Amino acid sequence: MFQKLIAKSMMKSPWLYHINTGSCNGCDIELVACLTPRYDVERYGFKLAGTPRHADIVVVSGPITTQSRDRLVRTLEQVPEPRCVVTIGSCPQSGNVFKGSYSIEGPLEKYCHVDVAIAGCTPKPEAIIEGLYKAAQILQKKREAMK
Amino acid sequence: MPDFILTFLKTALHVLIFPGLLFVAIGGLLLAGIDRKVLARMQRRIGPPIVQPFFDFFKLMGKETIIPNAARPAIYKAAPLIGTASLAIMMLFFPLFGHQAAWGSTADLIVILYLMTIPAVAIIVGGSASGSPFAGIGISREMVTMMAYELPLVLVFLAAAKKVGGTSLVFSLDSITAWQQANGCLLFHWAMIPAALALLLVIPAEVGTQPFDVAEAETEICEGPLIEYSGAPLAMYKLNTAMKMFVMTALFTVLFLGGINLGGGVLGWVLGGLLLFAICAVLTILCMTLIHAVTARLKVEHLFKFYWTVVAGLALVSLVLVWFGL
Ligand code: SF4
Repeated sequence: MFQKLIAKSMMKSPWLYHINTGSCNGCDIELVACLTPRYDVERYGFKLAGTPRHADIVVVSGPITTQSRDRLVRTLEQVPEPRCVVTIGSCPQSGNVFKGSYSIEGPLEKYCHVDVAIAGCTPKPEAIIEGLYKAAQILQKKREAMK
Repeated sequence: MPDFILTFLKTALHVLIFPGLLFVAIGGLLLAGIDRKVLARMQRRIGPPIVQPFFDFFKLMGKETIIPNAARPAIYKAAPLIGTASLAIMMLFFPLFGHQAAWGSTADLIVILYLMTIPAVAIIVGGSASGSPFAGIGISREMVTMMAYELPLVLVFLAAAKKVGGTSLVFSLDSITAWQQANGCLLFHWAMIPAALALLLVIPAEVGTQPFDVAEAETEICEGPLIEYSGAPLAMYKLNTAMKMFVMTALFTVLFLGGINLGGGVLGWVLGGLLLFAICAVLTILCMTLIHAVTARLKVEHLFKFYWTVVAGLALVSLVLVWFGL
């Protein structure tokens, strides 16, 4: 019963940690739009955590610049299991408009497993919420697989 | 059955279930949920369900616990449990509307004063054991906050003790409640109203909610002392914060509204528990949610100044009035 409760809670209270790896700020603003009163993802239990140690879902935006790559990898390692990685926008998937630049080291798949990728430049808040919800479901599955 | 076994069982029941650990934990988590919901409604959001803190707690229980290389594992893991234990025990000193306190004695208020610092000390010890520089800043701020609210708190206790004792000081919560049953709640004696306001302002600092959350400022120092915590110990810290909400508002209820009498027996106990929770919910909304919704975080020196001038001043006014027999 206890294990079931924990698995259910996994889905009901995923905390987000947001990493910006050189994004143009468009995706970051859309994520903020999800958190603020208009879309209010807190009603599903999502919350912005202050440190990667508290996070369940890591949200990555931007095309992974050379400067941010090592920091990104180090931060991802600090997140406790079970965890999910979600990318926002086309940048972390393909490099988008920045593709071909000397300072871009994407896509993110090179460095870690991406659970949910939300495409768009920038994706709508509705799409982001759906992606986060899917990530929460994956989180529950991962927890059930853990025990 | 021999007597000592019965006594032991009774004590265990008090400590673990009612009015100890279980009661405080469930009540506190519900209060935290109400706080979040009402805050969301004030910001025109829908907000999380009231049971959201329970989900948070169980989720954190199921996460991996990472212990950083720089940390001291034993202290790192034990610190939050010490905080939880002291909070659960504090509740045993509170008489519940005409019932004797489970562990009442002659100097309850002083014991409570000490027990109240233990959760804050637990945060300081745990934070410093985690070996993070952000935690270092956080614990120094936590210490300043502690010093800031301790002075007004002592003044409030002194005012209440003097008011009840007349010529001497009475620190026993049982006697304070008995006096209130005879002479009406302390809140309705006008000389005590500034002290009540001061205690209401101490509660958010003790719990560490919005304008006074300098120690755990997540946007500037990444949750301060809790920065390295994850998994079960973090869950205990979150539980501690929720329990503090309940215990502190219950302290206000006992100290200033102890005159309500609900009669004895099992029915009295149940009604007392429910009424206590209802009053605590109102107080939580009044002194934590409302202030949280309309203010931004203070700087630590502003917090210190605010508590040692305005809040301590309010408490001092009461103390002086009471001292002249008003
Ligand atoms: S996907 Fe588009 S909006 Fe988002 S960071 Fe990249 S360029 Fe900016």
